Amino acid sequence: MSYDALVIGAGANGLVTAHYLARAGKHVLVVEQRHAADPSADIGWVPDVVIRDLGLARAGLRIEQPDPWITVPLAGGRGGGGTLELSRDIGRSVEAIRHISPSDAAKWPEFCNRMRTLAGVLERLYLVPPPDIESTDARELARIAGLGLYVRRRGKQTVIDLARILPMSITELLDDWFESDVLKGLLGALGIWHLKQGPRAGGTAFNFLHHHAGSPAGVFRPPRSNVTQALSALPGVEVRHGERANVLAPNGRATGVVLEKSGEEILAPLVVSSADPRSTLQPVAIELDPEFGRAVDNIKARGVVARGTLTLESTPAYSTLCIAPSLDYLEHAYDDAKYGRDSATPYVEVQKTDGRLELHVQYVPYTDGAANVQRHQALQLRVAQVLGAQPSQVKLHSPDEEELQHGSTEGHLYHGELTLDQILFMRPVPGWSRYRTPIEGLYLCGSGTHPGGGIPGAAGRNAAREML
Amino acid sequence: MSLRTTPFHPRTGPLSEGQAWRRWAGYVVASSYELSHDREYHAIRNSAALFDVSPLYKYLVTGRDAARLLDHVVTRNVGKAKVGQVLYTPWCDNEGKQIDDGTISVLGDQTYRMTSADPTLRWLHLNASGLDVKIQDVSESTAALSLQGPRSREILQLAAERDLSSLKYFRLTSAKIRGIPVTISRTGYTGDLGYEVWVDAAQAVPLWDAIAETGAPYGITPAGMLALDVARIEAGLLLIAVDYFSSRHALIESQKSSPLELGLGWTVATDKERYNGQAALAAEGKRGPAWQFTGLTVDWDSLEQLYADVGLPPRLPSQAWRTSVPIYDRGGHKQLGYATSGGWSPLLKRYMALAHLGSAHAEPGTEVRMEVTVEHRRRQAKAHVTALPFFNPERKRG
Amino acid sequence: MKQYDAIVIGGGHNGLVTAAYLARAGKSVLVLERRPRVGGAAVTEEIFPGFKFTMFSYVVSLLRPEIIRDLDLPRHGLHILPLESTVTPMENGDYLAGWADHDETRRELYRHSPRDAEAYDEYGRLMHFMAQAVKPILGMVPPDPTSFAPGDLAGLLKLGKHFRGLGAERLHALVKLMTMSSADFLDEWFETDVLKATKSASGIIGTFLGPRSPGTAYVLLHHYMGELDGVFRAWGFAKGGTGAVSEAIASAARSFGAEIRCDAGVSKVLVRTGRATGVVLENGDELPAGIVVSSLDPRRTFLQLLEPEHLPSHLVADIKRFKFRGSSGKVNLALDALPSFTCMPGVGRQHRGAISISPSLDYVERAYDDAKYGEFSRRPYMDIVFPSMIDPGMAPPGKHVMSIFVQYAPYNLNGGWTDAKREAFGDAVVNTVESFAPGFKSQILHRQVITPLDIERITGLSEGNIFAGELALHQLFFLRPAPGWAKFATPVRGFFQCGSGTHPGGGIMGASGRLAAMRILKDGK
Repeated sequence: MSYDALVIGAGANGLVTAHYLARAGKHVLVVEQRHAADPSADIGWVPDVVIRDLGLARAGLRIEQPDPWITVPLAGGRGGGGTLELSRDIGRSVEAIRHISPSDAAKWPEFCNRMRTLAGVLERLYLVPPPDIESTDARELARIAGLGLYVRRRGKQTVIDLARILPMSITELLDDWFESDVLKGLLGALGIWHLKQGPRAGGTAFNFLHHHAGSPAGVFRPPRSNVTQALSALPGVEVRHGERANVLAPNGRATGVVLEKSGEEILAPLVVSSADPRSTLQPVAIELDPEFGRAVDNIKARGVVARGTLTLESTPAYSTLCIAPSLDYLEHAYDDAKYGRDSATPYVEVQKTDGRLELHVQYVPYTDGAANVQRHQALQLRVAQVLGAQPSQVKLHSPDEEELQHGSTEGHLYHGELTLDQILFMRPVPGWSRYRTPIEGLYLCGSGTHPGGGIPGAAGRNAAREML
Repeated sequence: MSLRTTPFHPRTGPLSEGQAWRRWAGYVVASSYELSHDREYHAIRNSAALFDVSPLYKYLVTGRDAARLLDHVVTRNVGKAKVGQVLYTPWCDNEGKQIDDGTISVLGDQTYRMTSADPTLRWLHLNASGLDVKIQDVSESTAALSLQGPRSREILQLAAERDLSSLKYFRLTSAKIRGIPVTISRTGYTGDLGYEVWVDAAQAVPLWDAIAETGAPYGITPAGMLALDVARIEAGLLLIAVDYFSSRHALIESQKSSPLELGLGWTVATDKERYNGQAALAAEGKRGPAWQFTGLTVDWDSLEQLYADVGLPPRLPSQAWRTSVPIYDRGGHKQLGYATSGGWSPLLKRYMALAHLGSAHAEPGTEVRMEVTVEHRRRQAKAHVTALPFFNPERKRG
Repeated sequence: MKQYDAIVIGGGHNGLVTAAYLARAGKSVLVLERRPRVGGAAVTEEIFPGFKFTMFSYVVSLLRPEIIRDLDLPRHGLHILPLESTVTPMENGDYLAGWADHDETRRELYRHSPRDAEAYDEYGRLMHFMAQAVKPILGMVPPDPTSFAPGDLAGLLKLGKHFRGLGAERLHALVKLMTMSSADFLDEWFETDVLKATKSASGIIGTFLGPRSPGTAYVLLHHYMGELDGVFRAWGFAKGGTGAVSEAIASAARSFGAEIRCDAGVSKVLVRTGRATGVVLENGDELPAGIVVSSLDPRRTFLQLLEPEHLPSHLVADIKRFKFRGSSGKVNLALDALPSFTCMPGVGRQHRGAISISPSLDYVERAYDDAKYGEFSRRPYMDIVFPSMIDPGMAPPGKHVMSIFVQYAPYNLNGGWTDAKREAFGDAVVNTVESFAPGFKSQILHRQVITPLDIERITGLSEGNIFAGELALHQLFFLRPAPGWAKFATPVRGFFQCGSGTHPGGGIMGASGRLAAMRILKDGK
């Protein structure tokens, strides 16, 4: 059997790349190490252009942007102090916020608009390959100039905001606007998603905006979807499950993959990996410039999020429950992670999708196998306490397990933290942001590449377009 | 605190008559033991000179992928080398620019000793990602003596109580000298018949004594770096940080050199899998290197005339020099390159220099001009491109 | 009354540099200093008889060489003595040392990690390049990217060209330096914790950030720039203390004809029809001048010297938002004898360099944790020098002075700073030193403890921030101190800023003062 292209990984990005290649007439095989599709929801903005190009609507794509988009218990205990619920409708949110802070309520509409404008700039950057600032190619320079002009046309304030806000900490940004701990806590939480950084860390304001991309003004949680499922249902691409594949690259040229279990070699002139850059490239390190290898080793991908599920007897009314009562709460949670401990009081969010309750627990630092059963149980207990649930109702999947089971380095779901030194032309490694690798015929298309995690399909599409 | 001394210092220290020391890789070694280095130089070419070369960086590379790692790093084919062989080789970065040069000794199956002029441990580790290999820095624990000169074989045979005539050029063997286990390699930095003796640092002093005593009747002479410098120029051997810059130390692109530009094209393998710089070197090989590393012989009459013009007899450098000296075309206007080392060869009776010349002007016999300073004024002496080495005795390989 | 061409408010080093350059260009200049002596935060004072303290700022490395040349400062008494070693005592009794000699440093590092010993050279080379890459930026007036003015576009283009000219590798390294935490940046190079801790400590100086906070890698570079010009290898100590630097600049300014008046605090800038016409002193005197230049920090320059109606409201908001958050304190000690450190007993060359109390990354990070939540560090990071070991004139013969730079001591301490808290802070410092040098406490003759509140009270630096505004990425270049006003001008015509709160800011660099003077002179043409 011969293929034109092999794609490693049947996640959203891998499948998107595969389908774009298939549409261009290539015979594509996707090799996926999981035996069955992951039932959990895809979290993040699925760009419209991907939905359109691949006809995902017809393939059963469902996108949920819950409204109200977040529910936060107020002080006075669970339920005791009531809740704060924020809605898509800015006016309704203003009303809700007014109960806790009239001054914050007054600022909410302007804040939402300013953030939307900035996220809009990111959206534009995300649907194309990152600007190649070293290029001397006239077309690329024109493209960069175009991007610059686009930004400047958004107005002077946008230019200043971009320069000021992107390197800022989410704490500084929110302190500029608001006074309510509750409001700053729920917003600040988005700024630390999948980062081994606390809300006082520079760059968390960017991370906040990154996760705002694709959402309407006033909604600061990304949508949830079944995009991987929908992609799996699309015809035109062959998928082999239950096989872990490594790249074959004798003499610096990709020739196919070798399956880990059987040793079977499958050949193709084009190999695309949606797995994380480090696990893709380390097996072929001998073919690489050691300096490039060093850059790959230096990718910061420190898993800090445990995902999981919550089983309750009755379905709760909320769509998203956020336990992050203040920025200091988040900062304290991070302090533990700095010294390698699970947060004593973690940030916990419950996301209801299709009736399933999924958990995001931060910080649970990757330990390279050092974590044990006791530690896991202690975490489970703490999460249960935070939620007022029974430990048996909480099932968690730590970064260590994520690495063990799915091979993503240090269990980082985004294959690399979204810090300012690891975005745009610095992602996945400086100078190799165009989905290529030094190995001829080997491409990357996963979350480890631009624009990174939390935007299923964007990297896959950009990568496919680069290849074609 | 002070600089480190080598394991031979208990012997070399008292020998120093003028306390003329220099730094080498964080150690102090003798520039010359006697007040003038003349006799030490002549020992290299006439009897036998004994050098302490312990400051060399030495790494022991072992394990299943040892050869694979070294082949990934250096330009020569290590996999093909047999046990007992020593390879002289440069190594490069991914752009084919030279990082360093040194030797690789095949001590056994999956056991190699690499020597280098600069620390190389980190570079080896960077290259070893995913390989089953162990890299040990044995720089401190291994001491080394270099015995060079026409009578070196006789001395070493006596000391080791065995015949060394079958030990060919760039081969090594293990042996015992007065019961001390050593490795003897037929290598050196003088272009003469010579050997290097590798020993555990703890046994350094007795080894020195054994060789010095055995060699005394044959005129063995402890020699320092000044004498060695003259000999290595005669032999046309490169010195890092003098004749070329490591690409990892270079501040600008033009300071870097490729092995092809340094006359080491013969070390660039074409028969092995990917190694650092392979693609760049292949491309450079195809288009031809921009520079050549070559010898120059300064025309005596021309030099004499320059001095005569100011009423002086010709003056020669008393030591080998290591500064950058411009080389011009025969018209004396266009700069063709630069010399990096030079000096008077007491043996060959000629003023020689090592130079980088644009490839178009590097043909042996080409007449050029070398800048010389005569009585505070810059002048140009006539010189001719000379193939390297200047001195290449039969006994070196014989 | 004499009408001066220019009045400079504040006789700190930047104010003096501006004054000297203006006077050198033939202007009649008056410098007004609130305190009885010039220097601002760069002063040497004899607090206890015979013991001279470099009160605040204590080392020199960044002073721009062009200023030294232009003002001929050596002729005016500037003498920088080398301060070349750093010894970090570790908690296990070992130490990490960096010496002036490369071979020796390499050997010391090798003891901790052979690989780090090699990485150190490459790292040093990279930082050298980075400093070189940033150097032209320090010397340029930042262009405004929001402006379409030809000058700004040309500036941006020049900047773009400069960065592209660096080459890919160095450009990427620069991006990393601008955005990463010093701990993460150093992690890419080294494995020895104490080495990373000591290096990263220079990334947190003057910031309200920990070594694991993004943005600190840049400060790391800021502290490397002094190593660039052969003249100033690494760190130096000015003979006579940093006050001598101020005195040298003042002397140069006077030699060009500038007048310097001490005990002359300025309360307001006089503004008539949108134009500065002079100043009002605290005693009510009015002094007219063609232009007025403030070397005070942005908060005081805009919000204290001017009335809000002179400024657009968004600028007032921007300046109010500008972060100061002083985080450093200073403990100056008069000693009977030099302390003996457990890791390197006795008196020796370790006392001629810096002693860095940064035994591990976690140690420094924990010191930050305390400050984050409003407490001073129980076990702080400290940078210690013994000025009397370098310049014997700083103390009576046989006695010594010890300068301890301490972090963190937050300006906004929980419950506020009181005399008792100040002493408690001083005790924490002394006790921490004692833990590395038993017996040290009994050697102390006199002690002066300076909190950020004291720095503010004495020098006027808002919130006691030693850089006159944090050196955070969003407070640099065209954003320092506020977008649109980073070119030393203000909305009030004839009123300029020249302090460390303007580009490039920070340290005894003088670059802000020089650039401001250039700008003013160019404007006047």
